[in-house]
Amino acid sequence: MSNLDHAIEVNDLTKIYGQADSGVLAVDHINFAVRQGEVFGFLGPNGAGKTTTQRMLTTLLEPTEGRIVILGHDLAREPYPVKRQMGLVPEESNVYTELTAWDNLMFTAQLYRVPRAERAERARQLLETFGLWEKRSVKVENFSKGMRRRLSIAMAIIHRPSLLFLDEPTPGLDVQSARAIRDLIRQLNAEGTTIFLTTHQIEEANQLCDRVAIINHGHIAATDTPERLKATFRRVQSVEVALEPPEGLEPSGGWGEALTALPGVTTAVKMGDKWRLYTEDPSALLPQVMDYARANKLKVISLSTLGPSLEDVFLELTGQQVGTVRHETQDDRPRRGMKGRMGGGR
Amino acid sequence: MKNGWQQRLQDELAQAWVVIVKDMKVHYLRPGMIMFGFMMPFFMFFSFSVRREMGAAQGVARLLALTTFFTAAAAGPFIIPLERRLGTYDRLLAAPMSLLTLLLGKAAVGALFAIGVSVFSLLVGVVAFGATIAQPWLLVSGVVLGSFSFSALGLIFGSIPTRNPGDVQMPSTLLRWGLLFISGTFIPLTEMAPAARAVAYLSPLTYAQDLMNHAVLGMGLLSPWLDLLVLLVSGILFMVPPVWMHRWARQLGY
Ligand SMILES: Nc1ncnc2c1ncn2[C@@H]1O[C@H](COP(=O)(O)OP(=O)(O)OP(=O)(O)O)[C@@H](O)[C@H]1O
Ligand SMILES: [Mg+2]
Repeated sequence: MSNLDHAIEVNDLTKIYGQADSGVLAVDHINFAVRQGEVFGFLGPNGAGKTTTQRMLTTLLEPTEGRIVILGHDLAREPYPVKRQMGLVPEESNVYTELTAWDNLMFTAQLYRVPRAERAERARQLLETFGLWEKRSVKVENFSKGMRRRLSIAMAIIHRPSLLFLDEPTPGLDVQSARAIRDLIRQLNAEGTTIFLTTHQIEEANQLCDRVAIINHGHIAATDTPERLKATFRRVQSVEVALEPPEGLEPSGGWGEALTALPGVTTAVKMGDKWRLYTEDPSALLPQVMDYARANKLKVISLSTLGPSLEDVFLELTGQQVGTVRHETQDDRPRRGMKGRMGGGR
Repeated sequence: MKNGWQQRLQDELAQAWVVIVKDMKVHYLRPGMIMFGFMMPFFMFFSFSVRREMGAAQGVARLLALTTFFTAAAAGPFIIPLERRLGTYDRLLAAPMSLLTLLLGKAAVGALFAIGVSVFSLLVGVVAFGATIAQPWLLVSGVVLGSFSFSALGLIFGSIPTRNPGDVQMPSTLLRWGLLFISGTFIPLTEMAPAARAVAYLSPLTYAQDLMNHAVLGMGLLSPWLDLLVLLVSGILFMVPPVWMHRWARQLGY
């Protein structure tokens, strides 16, 4: 019944926290399959249901409904063989701060019954790979966030799992640490580990994943290669602009509607005193906005280009009007901006 | 090649041991542990015992019952919620071992703390106050069994789905004090009114105290075998609610 090419198969997986009628519906009848040997991205904004899904896949949370088959085993009935073969890197680095890096690794190796003869050698290799060998005897309470994250990944792979779950491994890390972790994920995958990667960064998913599922409000909107999703990502880039007439003149509200008519603008949404103009090519639109302002003697109060937001990607994929929801995730995305006052008028 | 279940059993035992050693290393110096586990029994002992005239042996018997009870029951309510908050509990829950193994490991942690403190109290009693022990083997089995049983009792509170040790400390302390005051620890069973004695039989501490009286003083009210049996059975029964509560926590998402 289950496909052997699939490391994970999920059918109608649902989670309601609390009572069925009054609780929080965090994951709503999702379906997907992760192939053996791929890096599968689970991409969604805050509160989308990513962690909830991952916790169900790793036996930490009981699904309200639905079926999970991992490596050929029904997770509800046979968790044991699955647990032996999976590694787990949770959202928060859950290392034992009272122990040294070495003792943390030894503990996990023993917990996963890594043969005595191999424990020390594997721990040494991992600590060297992760740049923690020098610090092996230091208590983890003195480790930085990046070091803790690396250690928690090392702990997750010391038993050589064939399936590795990572919940947002890079946020909060500096550029180098994040890159080191991404390289490591690639390397593990090249050695044959199937990776389930939860993230809210489109760029990260693009760089690492063979396929990506896009989830929001507990629904999966699409599962595809990053390459094929790129067209969607492109369509929901935007330029955000606020204009103002020079001092002494009454504000004329009409500039927003006029900008909407500029070539290349697909959709426009008013957001407070700003307008957001969706376009596939922000760099072509910017000079047009400047020209319009100059021609109409308007001051540019702010002007910035926005990369695709996951909210918008999700709306676009589900055929809804982009820009209609504003969430806190907004500020996570790349924003190349010229903020503040800029002379647009003469 | 060992057959499957033998290998599995060996694995589970080894895993329980690994959890025990890790917990001892990680938690023994925490303020909560020292406060509720190590100080409390001595504090209780001195506040209720110094006024009365009491022989060294009688004092040792009482102190042993108190240390097994308070130290053992202190670890559970405090370690699991703390590990849930730090996220480290997920490590144990996701590991390839059964829930029962994990819970037995956690119960053993409290029991070993209690046994450690009991050995300390015993040494003080014997060396400093010259107490003598009537039945050493009864003492050993009583301390071990009592520690396990009371540790399992603590585990019930530790299994309440919460990430805040403070949530659990209150109800577990109330229950422990309740069980202490109805028990025959401060007022000997023989001096109790029949109604009070009937209530005292509801507290497992009563049996632990009676057993310690047998072991140290060489005399008690009940049969030592009954005491041992009650501690054993209550210990096993105390393991049941934690299993249910862990299933419940898995639904709630703790
Ligand atoms: N234990 C819980 N009890 C009740 N509701 C919960 C619980 N955990 C999560 N939720 C809710 O379920 C929804 C999905 O949360 P989840 O943590 O899965 O999102 P996420 O995609 O991982 O978000 P983030 O990017 O912030 O980590 C949210 O609305 C959240 O508030
Ligand atoms: Mg999350």
